[in-house]
Amino acid sequence: MADPAGTAPWLLIAGLAGGTFALRLGGYLIGARLPREGRWARAFTALPGCLLSALVATSLAQGGPPEWLAAGAALLVAMLTRNLPLTMLAGVGAVWLLRGLF
Amino acid sequence: MTAPSPLPPRREFLLGVREIIPLAIGVATYGLAFGLLAAQAGMAELQTGLMGATVFAGASQIVAVERLVAGAGAGAALLAGLGLNLRLLLITASLRHELAGRPWSQKLLALHLAADENWALMHGAQARGRAVGYWYLVGGGACLLAVWLLSTVAGVTFARALPEPRAIGMDFAFIAAFIAILRGLWRGRPDLLPWVASAALTLGLIGGAGLAPAWALLAGGLGGAALAGVRRHG
Repeated sequence: MADPAGTAPWLLIAGLAGGTFALRLGGYLIGARLPREGRWARAFTALPGCLLSALVATSLAQGGPPEWLAAGAALLVAMLTRNLPLTMLAGVGAVWLLRGLF
Repeated sequence: MTAPSPLPPRREFLLGVREIIPLAIGVATYGLAFGLLAAQAGMAELQTGLMGATVFAGASQIVAVERLVAGAGAGAALLAGLGLNLRLLLITASLRHELAGRPWSQKLLALHLAADENWALMHGAQARGRAVGYWYLVGGGACLLAVWLLSTVAGVTFARALPEPRAIGMDFAFIAAFIAILRGLWRGRPDLLPWVASAALTLGLIGGAGLAPAWALLAGGLGGAALAGVRRHG
């Protein structure tokens, strides 16, 4: 658990801010030399989804039936609405109900 | 593709602000959600606002902060967040025309303000033959940054009014947010195999190889992306 007074959030903010700006600047500087198609481009565009999928998998592996069913409910709402706050509401509501049941 | 903009900079900037507003409303709800999550990481308003202003990339902020809450440490959280931001390379690589001949101060400003929404809006307008460019992008980006900053900070303040997070299932909000972002990233069937492979590889590395989840998911994500790279379309 993160310590509110700790340095970890500050380190993370500094690193993410610097790294993200480096990516924005790097894209401009590399520009035309960046692969538009082929293996590298496909791997590149696929990375965010793959990371998130891995993240959901690890989180769910640490949970139990309430979390798994709530994830299903959130997925359903996400597919129907494509709306972030509604999906969060559905997931949180479902897990709250299900933890009461199990 | 487009001729140099005939609009004076001020008018083009304001046009960018005005036309981004429908998208900014979506960003505001996203910002409120991020604020709720940041509060769970023990982040205060100042930290959250500073993060929003300096990073200005929502999905990576959510992922990085979740990793922190999960106890992954700043290094692993940073790598996961940056992995999500690699797509920014492709966005700013496409801005050569808009930035050509401008002083570095203006280039750096536009690069920092380049986000999915204002970039897509500008390209959409240009594709319809409208003479918009640099200031339109910057106007839209400035509006998004202001909305992102205010809504994330408001989310942190709002979270204080809520009871203990786990008691009302708020700890699950991260996973639900990831599922929603995944839905937004989904482009069709070819995504399925790399995503399933990433998840399976990650779980295998944790269960089978005993790797720490923070590193297993980076390896799993990279493995899935590599699979998407070597695979032919379809």
